[in-house]
Amino acid sequence: MQTYFWIPLLILIAIWYLTFSANRLDRLHHRAETSWANLDAILQRRAALALDIAHQEKIDPATNLLLTAAAHQAREADISERNEAESGLTQALLILSEDEELISSYPQLFSELDLITERLRIAISLHVEAVAAARSRREKMIYRIFRLAGHAPLPVKHAFEDDSLQEPKR
Amino acid sequence: MKIGFVSPYAWDVPGGVQAHIKDLARYYRDHGHEVSVLAPATDESLIEDDFVTPAGRPVAIPYNGAVARVLFGPVAASRVRQWISSGEFDVLHLHEPAIPSLSLLACSIAEGPLVGTFHAAAPRQKVAFAIAPLLEPVIEKLRARIAVSEVARETLTIHLDTDAVVIPNGISTDFFHKAQANPEWKKPLSIGFIGRFSEPRKGLGILLDALPNIARIFPHFKVLIAGPGEGIEAMQSVNPALRNHLQFLGRINDDEKAAFLKSLDIYIAPNTGGESFGIILTEAMAAGVPIVASDIPAFRSLLDEGRYGRLFENENSDHLATSIIELLRKPELRADFTRKGLERAERFDWSQVSDEIMNVYLHARGEDEKVRLVSETRPWNRFFTREDE
Repeated sequence: MQTYFWIPLLILIAIWYLTFSANRLDRLHHRAETSWANLDAILQRRAALALDIAHQEKIDPATNLLLTAAAHQAREADISERNEAESGLTQALLILSEDEELISSYPQLFSELDLITERLRIAISLHVEAVAAARSRREKMIYRIFRLAGHAPLPVKHAFEDDSLQEPKR
Repeated sequence: MKIGFVSPYAWDVPGGVQAHIKDLARYYRDHGHEVSVLAPATDESLIEDDFVTPAGRPVAIPYNGAVARVLFGPVAASRVRQWISSGEFDVLHLHEPAIPSLSLLACSIAEGPLVGTFHAAAPRQKVAFAIAPLLEPVIEKLRARIAVSEVARETLTIHLDTDAVVIPNGISTDFFHKAQANPEWKKPLSIGFIGRFSEPRKGLGILLDALPNIARIFPHFKVLIAGPGEGIEAMQSVNPALRNHLQFLGRINDDEKAAFLKSLDIYIAPNTGGESFGIILTEAMAAGVPIVASDIPAFRSLLDEGRYGRLFENENSDHLATSIIELLRKPELRADFTRKGLERAERFDWSQVSDEIMNVYLHARGEDEKVRLVSETRPWNRFFTREDE
């Protein structure tokens, strides 16, 4: 009698717990994906803005070339080259941020750049956090044994995210 | 955008978190967003704002050295459910979701673009976070976390092991800047203090201990103390010869507070700890009063290590007295702090802070996403729930 009662109950609890855990992980994956989508959109906007700045008159040819190349690379890079491309663009924009004269001649463009940099900072920190949360959950024993992650790809953090978090040195 | 706010504390009781939500909600409403606030209320007839939905009477629990009025339980849960399902929010902004409250309830039954703001700074309060493992599955649903200060962020990383974006509390700088001084309070060499002075952590005792030293140099200074309470008890600890320097004003409202700050020569914040942000300091800076504050972490970061106000060693009355004397002696130093303070206060104006928060909302939200109830997405629940809810 005892076993007939306990075994189904235990099975039910186990099923509930597994569904609950799978749900949790699913939500974390979703969070990581949303934050990446937002981050990606902002990176695209930054590249577009960099191109805009590069095409201004007062930019010297060398900077123009550097910036245009970096922006194009960032826009067209596939996922394996993305890291290098975004880091490159960050560096190129950092060089610009030292040029006080240029900044004062295009206040609108540069205030937009400041805005995007600020949003980028938030987007990156949210993405880093979402990825970390999902990954640490996936590493738990129960998720590995029961393969609760299924075929969902492992969320990844890109190296450029760390670089871009650095404050510009002015 | 349609934004839902959840307040953990009773709406009709004054408090920093409620004030923050009220200002933020009003600001967004005035700038073309739709807002709705769900909050407990001890007396529903006292609620003036039409965007507030009362959720029932809260109960009082001690928390973080003060009494918090929070609301929990099945009745509250059904109110929350109703409010969320009828609200169709684009973003749900939960305040202080890590303590047992309406916010935690909302966090556990909602899903989608959830944003949480953490106000508390309680680095040593283990009890409140002992339930962290139980909280984890709920808190991890938040798409974005905001901490109001570095200290609040640290509290969060230590106890809940998650990071947060730091966005400070906002104030309306114009309100304080344009206030008129009250001639009754405007006296030469007046220094002021605001707070529930009966609580030791507010540090009034430190200020009172500093009085003898100040009186030796300035026989005619005046200390104005505002805050709920009688002051008789506090008076007893002061040397009778010094009592005529003190004036207790009792509880003051927002307009009086602005006039009060405008009337002062120096504002003193001798808090010994438990402070997360120190909104009063930003208000004082907006009103153009030079500040002398204890060097607790929240104040140090707010005043940028002493650039925007004088810091004294925490709980050291002698050091407080020397700092006050120095400032009273040098009007040009006070003017310098006033000028820098005004600059600093701009950073905390709602116009700037609300933009930053809106940024976070945008990041928390996928395309065309709405806040849903968890129960809607559980497959088996479709068989059990009734249609009419």
